[in-house]
Amino acid sequence: MAALAAALCGCIAGGSGSMPDAVWGRQGIRPGELEKPRAIAIDAHDRVYLVDMTARIQVYDVDGRYLHGWKTPESKNGRPTGLTVARSGRLLVPDTHYYRVLVYEPDGTAVTEATLGGDMGRGPGQFGWVTDVVEDSLGNLYVSQYGDHDRIQKFSPEGKFLLEWGGSGEQPGQFRRPQSMAVDGDDHLWVADSCNHRIQQFDGQGKLLRLWGGEGSAPGQLYYPYGIALDGEGHVYVCEYGNHRVQKFTREGRSLGCWGESGRGPGQLNNPWAIAFDSQGRLHVLDSNNHRVQRVRF
Amino acid sequence: MFEHSLAFDRPGYLALLVLVPVVWRLGYRSLAGLGRWRRWLALSLRTLVVVLLVLALADVQYQRRSEGLTVVYLLDQSLSVPAQQRAAMIDYVRNSIRQHRRDAAGDRFAVIVFGRDAEVEVPPVSVNEALHSRVESQLDPEYTDLATAIQRAKAIFPYDAAKRIVLVTDGNQNVGNAYREARGAAESGVSIDVVPVHLEPTGEIAVEKLDLPSGVRRGQPFDMRIVLRNDAKAGDETPVKGRLVVVRKAGQREETIAEESVAVAPGKQVLTIQQEINQPDFYTYEARFVADDPAADGMAQNNSASAFTHIRGSGQVLLIENIERPGEFDYLVERLRNEDIEVTPLGSDRLFNSLAELQRYDAVVLANVARSSAADGDNVASFSDEQIEMLVRNTRELGCGLIMLGGPDTFGAGGWANTKLEEAMPVDFQIKSAEVVPVGALCLMMHAGEIPQSNYWQKRIAIESIKVLGARDYCGLVQWNGGDQWLWGQSQGGMIRVGPSRQMMLARIDRMTIGDMPAFDGGMKMAATGFARLDDASVKHMIIISDGDPAPPSRGTMSAFVQQGVKITTVAVGSHGTLGSQTMRDIAVQTGGKYYEVRNSNALPKIYQREARRVAMPLVYEPPDPMAPIVEAPQHEILRGTEAGVPPITGYVLTTVKQNPLVEVILRAPEPAGKPENTTLLAAWTYGAGKAVAMTTDAGARWTKDWPSWDGYDKVFSQMVRWAMRPTGDTGNFTVAADVRDGRTEVVITAMDDEDQFLNDLAMTATAVTPDLKSLPISIQQTAPGRYVGSFPSEAAGSYLVVVTPGGGKAPIRTGVSVGYSPEYRDNETNEALLKSLAQLPAGGGPAGDYVEQGLAAIALAQTIEQNPFRRDLPPAVTNRPIWPWLVALGSCLFWGDVFVRRVQVSFTWLLVALRRARDYLLGREPVAAAPETMSRLRSRKREVTQQLEGRRAAARFEATGPTAEAGPPPLAVAAPPEAAQRPAAAAEGEGEVAEGESYTERLLKVKKQVRRDRDENA
Repeated sequence: MAALAAALCGCIAGGSGSMPDAVWGRQGIRPGELEKPRAIAIDAHDRVYLVDMTARIQVYDVDGRYLHGWKTPESKNGRPTGLTVARSGRLLVPDTHYYRVLVYEPDGTAVTEATLGGDMGRGPGQFGWVTDVVEDSLGNLYVSQYGDHDRIQKFSPEGKFLLEWGGSGEQPGQFRRPQSMAVDGDDHLWVADSCNHRIQQFDGQGKLLRLWGGEGSAPGQLYYPYGIALDGEGHVYVCEYGNHRVQKFTREGRSLGCWGESGRGPGQLNNPWAIAFDSQGRLHVLDSNNHRVQRVRF
Repeated sequence: MFEHSLAFDRPGYLALLVLVPVVWRLGYRSLAGLGRWRRWLALSLRTLVVVLLVLALADVQYQRRSEGLTVVYLLDQSLSVPAQQRAAMIDYVRNSIRQHRRDAAGDRFAVIVFGRDAEVEVPPVSVNEALHSRVESQLDPEYTDLATAIQRAKAIFPYDAAKRIVLVTDGNQNVGNAYREARGAAESGVSIDVVPVHLEPTGEIAVEKLDLPSGVRRGQPFDMRIVLRNDAKAGDETPVKGRLVVVRKAGQREETIAEESVAVAPGKQVLTIQQEINQPDFYTYEARFVADDPAADGMAQNNSASAFTHIRGSGQVLLIENIERPGEFDYLVERLRNEDIEVTPLGSDRLFNSLAELQRYDAVVLANVARSSAADGDNVASFSDEQIEMLVRNTRELGCGLIMLGGPDTFGAGGWANTKLEEAMPVDFQIKSAEVVPVGALCLMMHAGEIPQSNYWQKRIAIESIKVLGARDYCGLVQWNGGDQWLWGQSQGGMIRVGPSRQMMLARIDRMTIGDMPAFDGGMKMAATGFARLDDASVKHMIIISDGDPAPPSRGTMSAFVQQGVKITTVAVGSHGTLGSQTMRDIAVQTGGKYYEVRNSNALPKIYQREARRVAMPLVYEPPDPMAPIVEAPQHEILRGTEAGVPPITGYVLTTVKQNPLVEVILRAPEPAGKPENTTLLAAWTYGAGKAVAMTTDAGARWTKDWPSWDGYDKVFSQMVRWAMRPTGDTGNFTVAADVRDGRTEVVITAMDDEDQFLNDLAMTATAVTPDLKSLPISIQQTAPGRYVGSFPSEAAGSYLVVVTPGGGKAPIRTGVSVGYSPEYRDNETNEALLKSLAQLPAGGGPAGDYVEQGLAAIALAQTIEQNPFRRDLPPAVTNRPIWPWLVALGSCLFWGDVFVRRVQVSFTWLLVALRRARDYLLGREPVAAAPETMSRLRSRKREVTQQLEGRRAAARFEATGPTAEAGPPPLAVAAPPEAAQRPAAAAEGEGEVAEGESYTERLLKVKKQVRRDRDENA
């Protein structure tokens, strides 16, 4: 009955048709094992980068075979909650509780001179708790943060502060924990405004273009959207931490369906934090509290 | 890694397998009618059923032999082991598992650290990385209990692997019996390797004893003896030089009475110091030796000893007042002093730490003092459970008076409900009647998952909060567990009454796991909704603990709290490198709550006790008009001389008088009317050896403003204190001496009358209170004229207080002994004899363990450790699992298979046809045209039908039987194709073939037909 109800309202609740085509990851602290992974990024060579609660960044292939890994320099205050692969192939790591963005080569070599930020504050170039960083086609970086002052800052490819927008609040254009961002082909920025349970779209100058979502668990509604990804075909995928699902939207915010439900089995999720597409268009869902990754084709 | 086999618990039953040939013989004949294949199949199934049943009767076991080995390292973290060696133990374990543990062989390791208790540092795992860089468990290192550690190791061994313990210790146990426990472990197959910690031989100086004579009297000189011991290295005769300091403490006063240089020669040395005491008090003497050369003294912990003595005088009273309102009881203190009562005021932030400290007082007054009172987040004064226990013991066992003076911070309103103190008072601190007191509601929001030991602290504060609440109060706990959730009462709005659910709440808290809450808003919305449905809650309060990480609540949510008058206290804990959160500060400010920043988690329970107390405030009763107290017991000693009555009051704290005949209610309030059990103003009772008084209104402050000018004020309060005080009468010529020897304290009482004649045949009793606040009754026996002796065990270090009740109406006599240091500090050599004996214990039928002579220091970081705890010299672990239920179930299924085969005939001819067609199709052949009805086909068909009929007949009879005379003509005669009937010759041709499978009836029928034909032909 529940499955029927879910099907009628447009969501797939873990039936056989919604099974992932791969599920991998095992809880643990040894190399190749995961402890509540919180961010995912996939590079052009389909290498999957994960960072977990032990502050380890581990690299896998798309089938979950462990390749190598390393640790961020400090983690006493907290662990990173975001990962992004830059166009140069370098890995950008928002080191949330150290108010900075770390930069690594794909082999794990730290590019310390490229580190962005490091000072806590509300001024230009200073950060609160950094959640995500993305790069547009011109190489500009957008860094989101939360804490006492939720905002997005834009930096030139050289790391020079350009502009900022946002602020903490519920009004359009404001944020309550902008947890994840994605850039589309028009260099527009899509932001998962997590604690406002909505998605906001901005142009490169911070002008609000679209806003949709709303708190709830019905299709079209969101509950703590933590991850956002674009498929390049005009669809927006949102991973909901609170609803334990991934929802597919049109750019206008019309829900096209959901995948996943709360649980531990394949096709079920437990507080997913992030999503990312690989080169074959498969979506990798970071099933954090199940300490694994699920790969699914939509 | 595993081998599998079967074993039998009752192999005798296997003899029943002889039934198998019998079954075969019977079945072979009786199933003849089924045809060959079905008969064989049925027989096989029957045979299997019989075999399975026999195996089940023989109690067959599935046996798995495992080659895996689990090694549990037991690391001695007691203080007799030098710190460097304790740290080296982790290095040794890491080195050992790295060199010897093999994943492929299924090796696992575990680590248990121990002192007095034993904690599992690493459970059995197959991951080397699980080992931390240092010991993280909290232990009592003052003792060594090897036995408990071995017991703990036995409990965590997995059942499917061979077991080995590696004991890393100096072997100096002072609690338990390691050899007995190890022998038990070895007999059950556990091998024990020992890596000894070799202690460097050093000189050792100890202050062994400080002796005070019995019967010290005021103004009378006495000799104090100090016994020093020098355990020098063998052959070392040099005295150890140092300073001996002797101090005398009485309450907060401390004075040095002797400080001199001494040289302690090897062996024992006794020093004598003359003393005289002129002021009555309870005195503690402490002697401490400090060696000039620290290297000459191995352990500093055993360098002091102490002793008590008590000189009686006038009554002493300790008055504990609230640090939030210092000086509130100055007037009372002054009036009591005026009445010749010595009063010592003490703020609630400077509380006593031992029972001995309370001994100089004859009564303790808790003057409007709450259980917890706070200055800021990290400076919260609070009575610990132990301190409350001391107060109660001090009254019940040691006869001290206990008075609780009212005010808005006392009794139930002071957070004292459900504490031991409530047991000691003549009133209970909670109200059961809904008509008397409104209820409160408390919501706890938990989000402190990233502070160290977060689970422990969050459980602890939740439990402390619930303890403070009354039975009718509401409580809810909201947390993030995959989503915002109530921990209980989800279907009832989350906030439910504590009374009927207290145990359930505590059980849920114990299982609580808290996730990472993304925003305050969700949980706070739930809380606001939960509060809104509580119409009868007069006080609504919420406490949020968080690192400030979640997003702030929305304006709508905040206004929902403000509108309902819910105050929110926020407790910010540091976990992301910063402390303090503007969001949390704003929440508290907007709702009128308090904001705390907590650096030290130890302060958390105190804060929660204090904050949860806000919910108990309805217990304060303040009617609009003053009311005159009702005097219930005018003759009571406390009210003596106040016949003119007592001035009015304007408030008090509601309580419930205890239903106990010892309780005397002296004053009662007239309101609320009709509830006399809840309106006690003054009550008293005798509690154990002491007396306790509860006064629920105050002493001249907020509710009794007229009292200071009342002429009965001094009288009532001085009489109250004197009534409760410990008897201070002269104890006559009784002297008590206590002496510690070999872990026992001997108490000797000499009893003489005023004429110095021995008192005999006294019914004397005594009780000792141990350092962990347990009462030990002491059996006192008369051993000589006027001499009474008793003893009790006193192995643990600390103060032992002894109260002797001489009988005959005499006041109790108190004394005490001090066991200066733990036996942990007596030993300075490795106990090799014990350790070798442990290693020599054979593991079950296997070999003895290894004893690593080199010791820990030599192998901890060695490139190659020869001792291999993962060596394969133990018999493999064997695990058995009974499988007879499965066999019986399988046998039942096969039995039905047997029935099926006999009763149902399944034709597979369609399969042949299908195979032929498939073959033709695959090979591209033309289907072969149907052959004409040749004689051979007809014969074949005939045989088939005959077999079918026979089969049916056999099935219908259940067992095939021989033909009977009544058998009618077979259906074949009817069913046979007409052609067959028209070609008798052809049928006759096949007779030879048919005859083999034909039954007697069919043959008889054929003969009859033949006879009939012959007759027709002859005719």
